[in-house]
Amino acid sequence: MPAISIDTFFACSLMVLLVVSAMAASSMLLSPYINGVGNENIAKRYGEIAKYLLLNVGKPQDWGQKSQTIPEVFGLAKARSDIPYELDIDKVSRLNGKNQYALSYATIFSALKMSDVSFRIELNPIFEVAINLTGTHPSVNETIYQFQILTEKHGIPVQAELKGYIIARNYFEAKNVSISDGEVSLNVTLPNEVEGPALLVIIARSVCNAKIVSFGTFAFAHNSGEPEETCNFLKLSPLNYALNVSYLYPEISLLDAYALTFNYYSSLTQTANSSQSVEYGIPYFVDSSPILMAVTGLNSTSFFIEWVAYPQIPLKIGADFTESMSLSDVFAYRYIVTVNSALYECMIWLGGS
Amino acid sequence: MKAHNKGQIRIVEAFLSGLIIFSAFAISANLTITQNSVKNDDLAAVGLQALVMLDSDGSLAKYIEDENWNGLRDALNLLLPTSVCFNLTIYDENMQQVNMDTISNGGFSSQQIAFVEYVCASQGVTFRVYIVHLLLAVVT
Repeated sequence: MPAISIDTFFACSLMVLLVVSAMAASSMLLSPYINGVGNENIAKRYGEIAKYLLLNVGKPQDWGQKSQTIPEVFGLAKARSDIPYELDIDKVSRLNGKNQYALSYATIFSALKMSDVSFRIELNPIFEVAINLTGTHPSVNETIYQFQILTEKHGIPVQAELKGYIIARNYFEAKNVSISDGEVSLNVTLPNEVEGPALLVIIARSVCNAKIVSFGTFAFAHNSGEPEETCNFLKLSPLNYALNVSYLYPEISLLDAYALTFNYYSSLTQTANSSQSVEYGIPYFVDSSPILMAVTGLNSTSFFIEWVAYPQIPLKIGADFTESMSLSDVFAYRYIVTVNSALYECMIWLGGS
Repeated sequence: MKAHNKGQIRIVEAFLSGLIIFSAFAISANLTITQNSVKNDDLAAVGLQALVMLDSDGSLAKYIEDENWNGLRDALNLLLPTSVCFNLTIYDENMQQVNMDTISNGGFSSQQIAFVEYVCASQGVTFRVYIVHLLLAVVT
């Protein structure tokens, strides 16, 4: 074989090798970015859907207020609102599975009219309030309970003003406002003749902005056994400024009902009742605060306290993406929304169905 | 003559292989820039929404007029995700800086910085306009 043929053979082989290796390297380098471009389009579409959920009022516009109305078109925005991302208090409450008038995921999925999109919506206060009972000091006439109250956002302390309420059988006390630098100690004194269990309600308002509010509750034993979990005796369903209370046991009788905000509180008055349910009117408080309602009663002879927030948060509804096999197609969007003049954090997850 | 041809072939080979390698790198680099801009857009949207929510009841202009920079910093800290750091600068209508103190929650360690410009008006008796520049980055 002449030397020139060998040279040509090696040169051609080298060229082919270079081209093939360049193609392989290029495809390896580019493949994540090509996928990224596809994901970018999906992310943009899902981002627009998330905005649509929060900025669209739905059809009919007042589907939240009417307990029997199923929306033809799903949207959470408050009708006739001038504030962007202001959600309707009743539409939000109807997303909570504990509400008697809650929409099911299937109903919302149909009303969204996007068969290829599954979603999850979570609504929470912007910061958390945690209450811990740190000490109990009984004496002859009264018992002092010492609580540690933490106001934090993902572990970072939040300066907040705290308003406390204590409720027990035939007992109601509103505490003075105290300031928390992220952690504060609060003493609650209860006379020994008061029958428990008792409920401590804390409504916290950020020092830097009065619209950023949160709340926490803590039920504790006082001349009683350990308190049972909430929703054990009553189903509390706030809607359209009325609190529907359904009995979960036949021998239940109600005692008192209270509505609490940061600045105001009031006893609730019954507007309707039947053998298995009672309805209370909820006052229209002019306050940037969730309304917490506590209802006391007897199951036969044992005393109980149940509570609910209006808007009925924290809430979670939708698909559970944590168990999904295709995690790469799930996109999360975080929005700050206004409900009843207070700010909350709304997380929306969207993915393929 | 033959040796002269061999040299030419080697030069053509080297030129072609270099061209292929450089073109691959050029395409990769362009696609990388597209990816970054999407992340910055998301971050800018989060920042803009926080400013809009603060301005919805006039709080933003009130922080500025009261020179309550600590309050404004704390409010943004609460409204923005925990993993986002920010730096805020406020200008008046003549583009003179209004805030003499730094309004920030820490240093920027990220290469990807998003920029938001927001114009807000005071709701007081005297009408004033402020231009708010918000820089955002994800803490790495």
